[in-house]
Amino acid sequence: MPIQTIFLALLILPWLSAGLVALLPKKVQVNASILLAGLFTYLAFQVGHMPENITSYPWFNLGGKAITASFWVSKSAQLLLLLVSIVALFVQIFSKSYLAEDPNIGRYYSYLHLFIGSMTLLVLTDQIYIFYGAWELVGACSYLLISFWHHKEAAIKAAKKAFLLNRIGDIALLFGLVGLSQYFGTSVFSAMHGSAPAIIGIAVILGGIGKSAQFPLMSWLPDAMEGPTPASALIHAATMVAAGVFVGIRVFPFIGEEAHLFMGTIGAISLVAGAFFALFQNDIKKALAYSTISQLGLMWLGMGSSASLFHLYAHGIFKAGLFLTAGSVIHYLHHQKATHHVDAQSLHNMGGLRKKLPLSYIAYLIFGAGMLGIPFTSGFYSKENIAGYLWGSAQHSAYANYYYVLLSALALGMGLTATYMCRQIYLIFLGQNRGGHSFEKSHNEWLQVIPISLLLLLSLFCWISMNPMDAHHSVFLAFFHIENYHIPGFWLGITAGSWIVGLGITYLTRRWVPAKNYQFLGFIWPSAYRLAWYIGQQMQRFDARIVDRIVVTFTELQVVIAHLSAWTDRHLVDGSVSLIASTSRVLGARLQTWQSAQLHRYWFWVFFTLVFILIYLLY
Amino acid sequence: MGNLSYIILLPLIASLVVGFGKLGANYARLIAIAVAGIQLLILAKIALVFDPTQTGFQLTESFDWIQLNLGSLGHFVSKYSLGVDGLSIGLILLTGLVSFVALWNSQDIHEKIEGYYALVLLLNASLMGCFLARDMFLFYVFFEFMLLPMYFLIGIWGGPRRNYASLKFFIYTLVGSLFILIVMLGIALAYMDPNETAIAFPNLGFHDLSSIQTALAAHEIAPNQIVHSFDLQVLSDPKNCQPNNLFSPQSGFLLGGLSGRAWGFWLLFIGFAIKLPLVPLHTWLPDAHVEAPTPISVLLAGVLLKIGAYGWLRMAIPFFPTEAVDAASIMAGLGVLSIIYGAYNALAMADLKKLVAYSSVSHMGFVLVGIASFTPEGWQGAIFQLLSHGILSSLLFLMVGVLYSRTGNRQIDNFSGLASKMPWFTVVSGIAIFASLGLPGFSGFIGEFFSLMGAFTSTHLTPIYAILGGLGILLGAGYLLWTFQKIYLGSYFVRESTWELPDLTLLEKFSLFGLGILSIIFGILPGIIFELSEIFVTNSLNLIFH
Repeated sequence: MPIQTIFLALLILPWLSAGLVALLPKKVQVNASILLAGLFTYLAFQVGHMPENITSYPWFNLGGKAITASFWVSKSAQLLLLLVSIVALFVQIFSKSYLAEDPNIGRYYSYLHLFIGSMTLLVLTDQIYIFYGAWELVGACSYLLISFWHHKEAAIKAAKKAFLLNRIGDIALLFGLVGLSQYFGTSVFSAMHGSAPAIIGIAVILGGIGKSAQFPLMSWLPDAMEGPTPASALIHAATMVAAGVFVGIRVFPFIGEEAHLFMGTIGAISLVAGAFFALFQNDIKKALAYSTISQLGLMWLGMGSSASLFHLYAHGIFKAGLFLTAGSVIHYLHHQKATHHVDAQSLHNMGGLRKKLPLSYIAYLIFGAGMLGIPFTSGFYSKENIAGYLWGSAQHSAYANYYYVLLSALALGMGLTATYMCRQIYLIFLGQNRGGHSFEKSHNEWLQVIPISLLLLLSLFCWISMNPMDAHHSVFLAFFHIENYHIPGFWLGITAGSWIVGLGITYLTRRWVPAKNYQFLGFIWPSAYRLAWYIGQQMQRFDARIVDRIVVTFTELQVVIAHLSAWTDRHLVDGSVSLIASTSRVLGARLQTWQSAQLHRYWFWVFFTLVFILIYLLY
Repeated sequence: MGNLSYIILLPLIASLVVGFGKLGANYARLIAIAVAGIQLLILAKIALVFDPTQTGFQLTESFDWIQLNLGSLGHFVSKYSLGVDGLSIGLILLTGLVSFVALWNSQDIHEKIEGYYALVLLLNASLMGCFLARDMFLFYVFFEFMLLPMYFLIGIWGGPRRNYASLKFFIYTLVGSLFILIVMLGIALAYMDPNETAIAFPNLGFHDLSSIQTALAAHEIAPNQIVHSFDLQVLSDPKNCQPNNLFSPQSGFLLGGLSGRAWGFWLLFIGFAIKLPLVPLHTWLPDAHVEAPTPISVLLAGVLLKIGAYGWLRMAIPFFPTEAVDAASIMAGLGVLSIIYGAYNALAMADLKKLVAYSSVSHMGFVLVGIASFTPEGWQGAIFQLLSHGILSSLLFLMVGVLYSRTGNRQIDNFSGLASKMPWFTVVSGIAIFASLGLPGFSGFIGEFFSLMGAFTSTHLTPIYAILGGLGILLGAGYLLWTFQKIYLGSYFVRESTWELPDLTLLEKFSLFGLGILSIIFGILPGIIFELSEIFVTNSLNLIFH
């Protein structure tokens, strides 16, 4: 196939798949969907090793300017495309087992394809209008997937909250993008060169806050865990939430250092706060959600440089793996429900699961090692790379001290990350079962084991470099134009220190389990919602009592005047008895017909008078 | 007589036949829908022969209508002249489509059926007349005439408070027309029609436009030799104004700090703003919508509101361009006020139909913001928004109608979890709601996006208007998603156990999905509409800024 055909097929396939899956008979829906996802992954790999290029299709003209539907196969886009297609395929396979009993599974698969289509558009487009469009569409897919179980009150509330908090950021992004296109005089990213004013850069970065669940709009992500777990793995862990980082990557070359530092600061706050709040979750999915916020913060700390891109990829793989593994733990506990009636996501019912779920235990250990950045995992390289980027930038910047502050925030975040990760592994798999349950041994669900194992393989070091301690001369990094930033050896000491701190705190606090899920900045949403509601009520009262009242009173005044004039007519102007009689008949008629179209007669006379005045004025 | 006349005459004649022919209810319905269908075919033909690269009116028709000799005031000429250009082509197509959909969904009308269809056809004819007239007097006749069928349609087939609502609608619109009438007569008296003057008085010896305009400026034409007309193009050229007149740019007339031309602009602006409707002149709209039967709400929101914006783009701004540009900030401010105020009010509504009515106020605010930007993006966005809102508000009101026809109720709190009982209805309502909240891929997004983008990049406005308008997008998502969540998601519940909620009938599916698909097509390929109005927009803006 010629390369152009493959490219076009890649863009269109997911949309067709979504429609097809929805319309196919129930029996074949799932298998067809997985097959289509496989085909998509194949096409993504074809596009993934294309040379960089820009393809434009004519779209529409506006104000004499031709707006093209243009697509940019850039290195960062290729890497994200590969990540999306791999994770999406694995999630589809996993879901077949996870959601096997759901009667609406076809709808779920259809939504997944819609999401893949929107995400592909987002990653590949070069045109700001399509970018913004795809940006909103992935949000809508997220809404559909969170509210997939639409009889669950918590799920539909979470979906709405996610969409609206996202939209706050989206509006900033809208103005940021329009600002960029105004400033550079072009609406395609690839033609933007130079340095945009800080305010525009900051607006774009603010736009990413909602999507990446960064400070202060982070509270939607833990709630979004009400959706099906495999969908969370795909969109709320690996790909959609990373769109906020991706926009930073796209605009990185031309937004200037102030906007970069703004992005880094938001990232540092989210990194530390997210990791801290991950410690205080009782629900394992919510803990992973805060962990995602924290890791996205780490990518934001990379300020959209190629270090961010690298960690986006590495994190996407191991976080999707963690979510799927957590999903299989939940699936296992859920199917104990018939005998034990347990909350399948609560830490209270966990502990000692290593014997029942040895494969999940090993997977959690390895993915967790990736989170901690332990050598032999890809997470090691990508974390060192972000630290290296901050260190390197500090060396020749006017804001050197600020970079060191961010670097220390990174160190703090790493300590907290190690702590919550080790604690989670301990509380789920080690020790004794806290609920006092004795579960039966699981029989392995191969549709769950295979995707998790493949993600395990992908999160190992060997794909990046054969040297587990150093990514020098990496073919992977060179292909995707990812720079290998260096940091002096002392940082390795700090990294190792964070592991020791994490293990130590875990040991000391091993008996403590959070009683509930504590929320960070949880009050923002209900208060914003209530405020809007209150203003709405007040405005409605104002509308009905004042605005409408004025108009009605004014109209009634006309009737009063009409009556007065009729009265004058009857009593003062005309004394004749017969005329009084006839006028009062007219008045009576007027009184009765006030509720009818007769009224336009008044207006007719008003017109008439005004026209005469006008003619008089003119001549 | 050409195609444009047929568009107006066909429903007019059909209306008489249906109204007085004593044909029975079934034939009345059949004829009405058939006529709307034929009208759509003629419109399709017009759309095919319409040349979007041509400036000005096309397919023009012109017949002498009124000629009046007023002695020292000169001669008055009004013509029956029709034409279509980049602005009106989209609107007549929309009118045809929405009328067809409204008639198609009128099966719930059970009383005085012949009268109903006759009046809807009459309304259709006068709406078409409004959009096609090239003569302001003719426009005004159609504009006023529209009130009559609308008044009766709400007043006879409406809900419990129909008398109040129809009278309120009537009075409001009449006040608006009064303002328009004043300016119309004033400007016609003040302006000279150079062509008609040259034809009527060949002895003056004028052969080209500029010489006659120069002669006018130099007082060389006696007042009784001036021919006044209502031709829209004549009235759009300030050089045709008599010197030392209230409306002449050089006159020193000031009243309340405004020149005569500024007064003219504002009176026209307010006259049409009532129709849009613009906050604070909007209070007739919720009442009219709540009382009107579903198909009439569809027509009201889908087409009637558009005449407000049409009047600005066709008359208020081209007649008084400088004054309009001076007023850009105030206009944008009023637009933003409408957006936010309408959205907040919608948020507080418990009645689904009122919510949709206030959402119309909010969405039409974007149109004004786009127009006030005086940029090609903003104008294109505004015109696109007119058409998109025509489709989407029709869809939303039909959605309300589906619930109302099954239960006789439309309080949001009385329904929950309809997704499990009415899957098709949920899908199409989801499309309507996501399209209305401006999700990309649907037409609503394009209109709002480019209106705001115009305002953001305009040299006549500060970016704050666009940013505040962006807040409206957020609120819009709020009340629409809240509605979707309340009515369609969650566990199934209806207030009265006797309410049966069967899913959409084939008839309903056809119109609801048809409109939804149209919204998607325009959302993905906005060029279809932009191409039609491109020349109109660039040409109009060129005339404003010379």
